Amino acid sequence: MSDKPLLEVRNLSTYFYTQDGIVKAVDGVSYAVDRGETIALVGESGCGKTVSALSILRLIPEPPGKIASGEILFDGIDILTLPKDRMLDIRGDRIAMIFQEPLTALNPVLTIGLQITEALERHRNMHGAVALEEAIRLLKIVGIPQPDQRVKDYPHQFSGGMRQRAMIALAISCEPELIIADEPTTVVDVTIQAQLLELIRGITEKLNTALILITHNLGIVARYAHRVYVMYAGHIIEHGSSQDIYHHPCHPYTRGLLASVPRLDEPRKTRLQPIEGQPPDLIQLPPGCAFGPRCPHVIDACRQAVPPMTEVSPGHYAACRLAVPDRKQS
Amino acid sequence: MKNEVIIEIKNLTKYFPLTSGLIRQKKVAELRAVDGVSFAIHRGETLGLVGESGCGKTTLGKCLLQLYRATSGQVLFDGKDLCQLSNKELRPLRRNLQLIFQDPYDSLDPRFTASDIIGEPMRIHNMHRTPAYQKRIDELINIVGLSPYMADRYPHEFSGGQRQRLGIARALALQPGFIVCDEPISALDVSIQAQIINLLDDLREKFGIAYLFISHDLAVVRHISDRVAVMYLGKLMEVADRDSLYESPLHPYTQALLSAVPIPDPTVEKKRNIIILKGEVPSPINPPAGCVFHPRCFKVYEPCPTTVPQLADIGGGHQVACLHYPNSWPKSE
Amino acid sequence: MITDTVRPHRSLWGDAFIRLRRNRLAVTGGVIILLIALTTIIYPFFSRYDFASQDLNAILQSPSMKHFLGTDELGRDVFTRLIYGARTSLSVGIFTQLIVLGIGLPLGAISGAAGGRADNLIMRFVDVIYAFPDLLLIILLRAILGGSIYMIFLAIGLVSWVNVARLVRGQTLALKQRDFVTAARVFGGFGSYITTRHLLPNSLGPVIVAVTFNIPRAIFAEAALAYIGIGVKPPTPSWGAMIRDGNNVIFAAPHLVLFPAIAIGILMLSFTFLGDGLRDALDPRLRR
Repeated sequence: MSDKPLLEVRNLSTYFYTQDGIVKAVDGVSYAVDRGETIALVGESGCGKTVSALSILRLIPEPPGKIASGEILFDGIDILTLPKDRMLDIRGDRIAMIFQEPLTALNPVLTIGLQITEALERHRNMHGAVALEEAIRLLKIVGIPQPDQRVKDYPHQFSGGMRQRAMIALAISCEPELIIADEPTTVVDVTIQAQLLELIRGITEKLNTALILITHNLGIVARYAHRVYVMYAGHIIEHGSSQDIYHHPCHPYTRGLLASVPRLDEPRKTRLQPIEGQPPDLIQLPPGCAFGPRCPHVIDACRQAVPPMTEVSPGHYAACRLAVPDRKQS
Repeated sequence: MKNEVIIEIKNLTKYFPLTSGLIRQKKVAELRAVDGVSFAIHRGETLGLVGESGCGKTTLGKCLLQLYRATSGQVLFDGKDLCQLSNKELRPLRRNLQLIFQDPYDSLDPRFTASDIIGEPMRIHNMHRTPAYQKRIDELINIVGLSPYMADRYPHEFSGGQRQRLGIARALALQPGFIVCDEPISALDVSIQAQIINLLDDLREKFGIAYLFISHDLAVVRHISDRVAVMYLGKLMEVADRDSLYESPLHPYTQALLSAVPIPDPTVEKKRNIIILKGEVPSPINPPAGCVFHPRCFKVYEPCPTTVPQLADIGGGHQVACLHYPNSWPKSE
Repeated sequence: MITDTVRPHRSLWGDAFIRLRRNRLAVTGGVIILLIALTTIIYPFFSRYDFASQDLNAILQSPSMKHFLGTDELGRDVFTRLIYGARTSLSVGIFTQLIVLGIGLPLGAISGAAGGRADNLIMRFVDVIYAFPDLLLIILLRAILGGSIYMIFLAIGLVSWVNVARLVRGQTLALKQRDFVTAARVFGGFGSYITTRHLLPNSLGPVIVAVTFNIPRAIFAEAALAYIGIGVKPPTPSWGAMIRDGNNVIFAAPHLVLFPAIAIGILMLSFTFLGDGLRDALDPRLRR
C-alpha cells in the first residue's frame, strides 16, 4: 500500500441543469481509493454515487450535466484537466468500468470477441490472432464455458450472468489499475451474484486492482469492502472502515439504514424500524442537512447549515452535529 | 379460524408452447414455467415463495389469479375450482383475490388520479354510485398512510413508496381475503422497503388477510412469512415453517440460497462459508432430467440425474424434494 | 403522516402544456395557425371584395394600396382569395383528420385490444387499403360525387386513415402489457372497459402528434389536387387552383404564384412546428 492514494476525488460537484431547476447530483464529495483496496459507495437511488463515478470517467453528458468544481487525482494527475484524447487513453486502459445493465452497456451488433479485441488493439497494441487468443483467455478467466466458441457470439446470445462475466472480461482486458463497478449485480439472481462477486474479488486480489463498488446492498458491502462511504442526496454523510460503519454507525441515516434491513443472522424482529419520510427532491433540497426532514434527532442547528465532516474516531468521519468524537454506538 | 384453508392449489402446471413455422405454427418445444406445484394457504397466513428468475414464481402467482389459465391442475377457492370457471363466473370471485405489483410506476394508470385508482375495483363492480364509495376511498387513503389531500394527484406526483401504497390501497378496496404480493418492494429504495413491509404486516394483523408473498429477497421473506416455499425451475424444492427453513434448511438449493445472501456485518461475513453454485440457472425450456437441480448441486450423487424426487413431508410439516431423504423417492407402483 | 413533494400540483396535460409553451417554434406555429384561422372568420365582415368579384378593368395588377396583394387575371383581389383559400385549406386539414380518427381510431383499437383473428382480419384489410393507389380512388370519388369540398374531405380522409389505425394498434398492443391493465383484469375488468378507460386514453399522445403532422399533408394534398384540376370546383377558392391559374401568366405577374405558394408553405410549416413541439411535450419522460 503506497502512501498516495491511487484515486483521490476532491470536492467534486456535478450538477444537472434541467428545465425545473438545478439538480445537484453530487455536491462537494471527496473520497479516495488506495491501490488494491476495495471501497464501497453506498446509498439509495438519487444519492449521487453513480454520477460521481461517471464523473471520474468524464462520462457525464455535457448538456445538461456539468462537472462544476473539484479535482480528481488519478495517480497524482488531475484527470479533469486532461484533454479528451488523453482521457480516452486512460479510460478502459487504466480505469475500467462495469455497468449495471450489460444489455445496454455492450454493443449489441458486435460479437463479444470483437468488443474485447477492439479494446486490446487500442490499449495494448495487440492485433489479429494474438488479440483473439487473449480474448479467449480472458473469457476463460471469467468462467465462460467454451470460450473459443462463445467469443464469436453476440451479447443477446448470452444469459444475464454470462453477459456480466463478459463485461468483466472486457473490463479487465487491459489490466486496469482501478475498476469501478456500478451496481454490478443488481440485475442478476442471488446465487449468480455470489458467483460474480467472488470472481471480481479473485481478480482484484490477483491483479492488485483497486475497486470502487457502487451499490445499495449493505450485505455486499459488508462482504467485500474495506472502507465504506455512505452517500445521501449528493453528499457523503459518513465514511470509515467497514468495521466502523457497521459496528459503530454515527450518522442517523446510516443507523436508520442498518436498522431497517432485516438480517438473516439475527432473531426475527416483530417490526422493522424504517426511516420515516420520503427520499429527498434533489432540486429542492432544504437548507442545512439534507437528511434533516427525516431525522429523528434533528435540532435547529441542523436546519441552518450543512453539518461539517467531523472525525469521530481515527479514520471514521461523519457529517452530523450529533456525532461527537469518542461517542460510540453499537 | 386460522386453520381454515382459504386457497389451495393442486398439481398446478403451466406450460407455454413454443411454436415455429411460417404458415402453420408447429409446436417445437415447451416452456415448463410451473411443473406440478401444490400447496395450501390458510386464512390470515403468509406463505413466502422464493426463487430466482425463471423459477416460475411470478407465473404461479398469475395462474392462481387466473390471469394465465393453467395447463392442468386445480386452484380451489371458496369450494370452487377456479380453473374450471369462465371469465364471467370468475368476476364476482375476483373481489376476494387481489394482486400487488412489483413496479410501482407501471402498475398505476398515469391518467387516473389517486382517487380513481383506489376506487377502480369498486367501479368495476358497480359499487360507485353510493355515498359509501367516497368514504371508503378516504378510509383507504388513511389506512395506507397517505394524506387526504393527495387524493386528486396523479401517479407521477408521488414517490415510489407512495405509489406502492396506492397500489396496496387499491388491492384492499374490496376487502379481499387473499392477496398475491409479487415482489412488492424490490423496486423501492432500501429505506422505504421497511415502511411498506410494516404496512403489509399491520394490514394483515388488522384485516386477517392471507398473503402469497413472492420475492427473491430471503431476508424480507423471513421477516414477513409464516411458512416459506422454495421454487426452482417450476418445481418446489422445499416447503417449511419459517423458522424451520431458515434454521435448518434441508435442500441443497435452499442452503446455497441462504449462504449466498450477504449479511450486513463484516465480522459475521468473514466467518461465513459461502457456498458458490456452479453454472447458470438453466432455461425452463429444456429442464435437466431427473432432479432439476442436479447439474448445479454440490451434494449430487448417482440417482440424481435419473430419478425425479417428490416433495415429501419428513416430519413437522417440513417438506423437501431431495433424494437424500428417503421419503422423496418416488413410490414404486 | 407522510410529507409529500412540494412541487405545484399539475395534471399530465397541464404538465405537457407547460412544456409546449417553452418551445418557441411550436408556439410560433400555433400562433400563426390561430391568426390565420381568426382572419378567415373575421375577414369576410370587413373585406371590400368578395373572392369572386371580378373587375376586368384592373387585371394583373401588382400589390398596391387598393389591392393589398394585387389582382389576378380576372381582376379578383388576391388577398381576399388568399384568405378564402386559407379557409378551404384549414377546413380540409381539420375535417379530413376527423374522418381519419373516426375510422382509424376504432379499427386500430379493436384490432390491438382484441388480438387474434379479429386483429389479423382488420390488419389485412388495412393492408389492402394501403396498397390501393390513392390518386385513383380520389379520381373515382371525384367522378362519382362531384367537386364539392365535402368530397375532398372524404377522399383525402379515406386514403390517410391507415397510418393512424396502425399507430393506435401498436399503442394498444404495447399498453396491454402494462401492469395497470393487468391490475384492471385482476379486479374483474372486461375487454371494452379496459379499452375505453385505459388503452385509448393512454394512446392519445402519439395519435395527437400523428394527426398534427397529417394536417399539413392533407393541406398539401388538397392544393395538389386543385393544381392538377381535380380538386375543389371553382369558384371556391383554393391555393392550388390559384397557383395553377397563375402559372399561365407567371412572367407577367409572378405574385399570383408566389403568394399562394408562400401561404401553403407557412401553414404547413406552422403545423409541423406545432407537431414537433407536441411530440416533445407529450413524450412520457415524466419519470424522475
